Amino acid sequence: MKHALGRDIPAQLDGRILKPFTGAFATVPTGTKAARHQKTVEPGENKVLSSIEEAIEATGLADGATISFHHSFRDGDRVVNRVVDACAQMGIGDLRLFPTALFPAHAPLIEHIKSGVVTRIDGSMNGPVGAFISQGGKKLKTPAVLRSHGGRWRAVEAGDVAIDVAFVAAPQADPYGNATGIRGKTPCGPISFCAVDAMYAKKTVVVTNDLAPYPVYPFEIQQGWTDYVVVVDEIGDPESIASGTLQITRSPTRLRIARLAADAVKASGYLVDGFSFQGGAGGISLAATKFVGEEMARAGIAGSFAMGGGTSLLVDILRQGLVRTILDGQAFDTDAITSLREDKDHVIMDPGQYANYDSRGCSTYMLDAAFLGATEVDLDFNVNVNTHSDGQLLHGIGGHQDVAAGAKMTAITIPTLRGRLPVIVDRVTTVTTPGEVIDVVVTERGIAVNPKREDLKDRFQTAGLPVRRLEDIKAEADRLTQPPGKPVFGDEIIALIEWRDGTVIDTVRRVVGWE
Amino acid sequence: MPQETIIGSANKADCRVTITPSNTLQIEVATKNRELLETGIRAVATKVCSTLGIEKGAIAVEDQGALDYVIAARVEQALRIFSPKKIAPVRPSVDRTRSARDRLRRSRLYAPGNNPRLLVGIDLHDADCVLLDLEDSVPPAEKAATRVLVKHLLATVQFSEEVWVRINPLDTYGRDDLAEVLLGQPHGICLPKAESAEDVREVAATMARIENELGIPEETTWIMPIVETAKGVLHCEEIAAADDRVAVVAFGAEDFTRDVGAARTQESLLFARSMIVAGAKEARVQASDTVFSNLEDEQGLIAETQLARDLGFDGKGAINPRQIAPIHAVFSPDEQEVEEATRIVAAAEEAQAQGKGAIAIGGKMIDRPVLDRARRTLKLAEMAEKGGRR
Repeated sequence: MKHALGRDIPAQLDGRILKPFTGAFATVPTGTKAARHQKTVEPGENKVLSSIEEAIEATGLADGATISFHHSFRDGDRVVNRVVDACAQMGIGDLRLFPTALFPAHAPLIEHIKSGVVTRIDGSMNGPVGAFISQGGKKLKTPAVLRSHGGRWRAVEAGDVAIDVAFVAAPQADPYGNATGIRGKTPCGPISFCAVDAMYAKKTVVVTNDLAPYPVYPFEIQQGWTDYVVVVDEIGDPESIASGTLQITRSPTRLRIARLAADAVKASGYLVDGFSFQGGAGGISLAATKFVGEEMARAGIAGSFAMGGGTSLLVDILRQGLVRTILDGQAFDTDAITSLREDKDHVIMDPGQYANYDSRGCSTYMLDAAFLGATEVDLDFNVNVNTHSDGQLLHGIGGHQDVAAGAKMTAITIPTLRGRLPVIVDRVTTVTTPGEVIDVVVTERGIAVNPKREDLKDRFQTAGLPVRRLEDIKAEADRLTQPPGKPVFGDEIIALIEWRDGTVIDTVRRVVGWE
Repeated sequence: MPQETIIGSANKADCRVTITPSNTLQIEVATKNRELLETGIRAVATKVCSTLGIEKGAIAVEDQGALDYVIAARVEQALRIFSPKKIAPVRPSVDRTRSARDRLRRSRLYAPGNNPRLLVGIDLHDADCVLLDLEDSVPPAEKAATRVLVKHLLATVQFSEEVWVRINPLDTYGRDDLAEVLLGQPHGICLPKAESAEDVREVAATMARIENELGIPEETTWIMPIVETAKGVLHCEEIAAADDRVAVVAFGAEDFTRDVGAARTQESLLFARSMIVAGAKEARVQASDTVFSNLEDEQGLIAETQLARDLGFDGKGAINPRQIAPIHAVFSPDEQEVEEATRIVAAAEEAQAQGKGAIAIGGKMIDRPVLDRARRTLKLAEMAEKGGRR
């Protein structure tokens, strides 16, 4: 069946009835959320275990279980591989992984997928694992399901995903199961991404390399949620959380895009006292954030809040007094982690607070402006962040859908060409975020405004900004290269892309050839 | 016949083309994303071969994300070297509107002609003139390949403002440069180390001859002599007036200070700058100041640009796109200047309507040069508005 954007979504898949995407805010949730089984402890009960293996045994983890992890150590994580290795050695298999995200560091999982220890993955697969799955290295039992930060939170609350054991890598924890990511020997920044896992899993295991006296706070993970605390030597390398995307770009083309994006914010009418924005990672977003900060300083704008991933750049903006608050879901560098301890107005925010569709409010809905990236954008302003033009599934959704749906002005900041590959295409390979929530596309060749935002177009033109039709920008870039080939997709679906409300916005099929 | 010819590099946005002898024409393509890109790259290479009438040779293209014009240029140059007999260069079709001799030239942005990565998007930084360089930034071994690359770029990229090429002096590679790059029909040619009227006339005559041979409309390509030696400074007047093609005289301070043994201070450059402005203005052409080479020092750039403007320069060189906005800001008139210019032009129009010869504001007579400057101020203001803050 075809949905609102003309994408073909099967009515059901492996027993799951798929609800097709109907519009960014069309779904009306009904019914009640899922709940965790009840349990109590008596005073004096011990939760501390001495090894991962002991915890696996204590939780009753068995074949076919769903286990979850957070990604706050990003490419420095040591817990996912450690737990899955332990399961394999203990003869446990057929596991479903439910990580918030996987990174290149998790490439060893490929062996476990081959051997059947891991048979399903619900979560974004950045890098080698995604490449392995898309290249047909091994068929997963059910397609991967990719969800946004808010979408994942919603899915757990709704009971779409039942977690058997949540393993929470915690840079500091107390023996009673309170834990945080911003303190300890190897702080990684907020770990609240998996608070929903810890609240809803049948069993929650906090894994720490720094067991500290009670109480450990902020209470990102609470004692009331935690069944066991395991002490290990190593949980992750904080140096690796800055995975390469944190340098402000030096490329003149990318700097021009960032400058135009900042100029667009300035001209939008939103840049007044109380202004709020999302500054992501990635060279262009960082530069745009920097330029917006400079503009705020020049114009004497007193902003309200900036939303992370936290970076030293956002910390500077906070410390200069340009915004009152940073709301931070994850840290992208060590300066942000230090600031989370030192700056009282740098506040941890979990995805339930910032992005959950099935809730009574999201912080992203309070945003004025946001800068987001894309692997592809099409002429309907639909955005792909998951697959490349060759059809390979290589990236997660992150907060893309949640921020785009919420911000008053969502700007996609992209170069028109990556090497020889055009970024603006007739039809995106995969729809991650629908064009209806994208306001402007900023490229080095000009700014395209979504036709539903004539108001912004007028403002940009008045300010002398180079406003152009997306078609014209595309045509200009297309003159520079022969059109690339296209992947031919087979019938086999390897991943579902969920919109943040739980409907399916697109599928990713296996590539079977080229045309 | 050479056994192997290699052109290009393994740098980003470039490609390396290797040709070895073969009795048939074979084209091998290696690139990231081969499935998506191989066909397009082969099509570009094939087209160059057929244009040049090449039917034999094993061509290997190792692509690093090169655009079509880069691939075409690398393949063409490799074929021209590989071929035992001399083959005529590819003559691309070019669609370029000629520019006015006195158009605004607040900035001239230099770009090394041999670096495809730095050439990507070079047309997009709002520079009034882009200068593709064949001279100082290009080592001798790369001169030939660079002029072919620049030719293909010129034919492909639509510059919304002006594009110029800085050739080498005529006594080194300049003649070959002209023969190649005029096929791409730039708006103008920069002549480095101009020292006499004769230097300029020789370039103009060479250009005319080539244009004639190629059937390109003659005398529509401007010349920008760059004065950067003691001798050049002392001959500014005749250099500027040497030929009708001269539209701008530019100053090159780095070579000048080396030539005369001066430190690079504003005082040491004052005489040269003033000579250039006076020479250019006497010939009714524009003067463009030297580049400011400390990229990190924006305040220094602004101060030096202000000085150049005060001395009478019409524009300034830039070594990086991020210098464009500050330069344009300095050369854009402020509100007070626009107001005054508006009053003067209005008074002139009123005087003309009333059939009066003399123009006066509040009893003060307005001379012709003052009126011309007022008109120019308004044009600059309009231009600055059109370009937004950039």
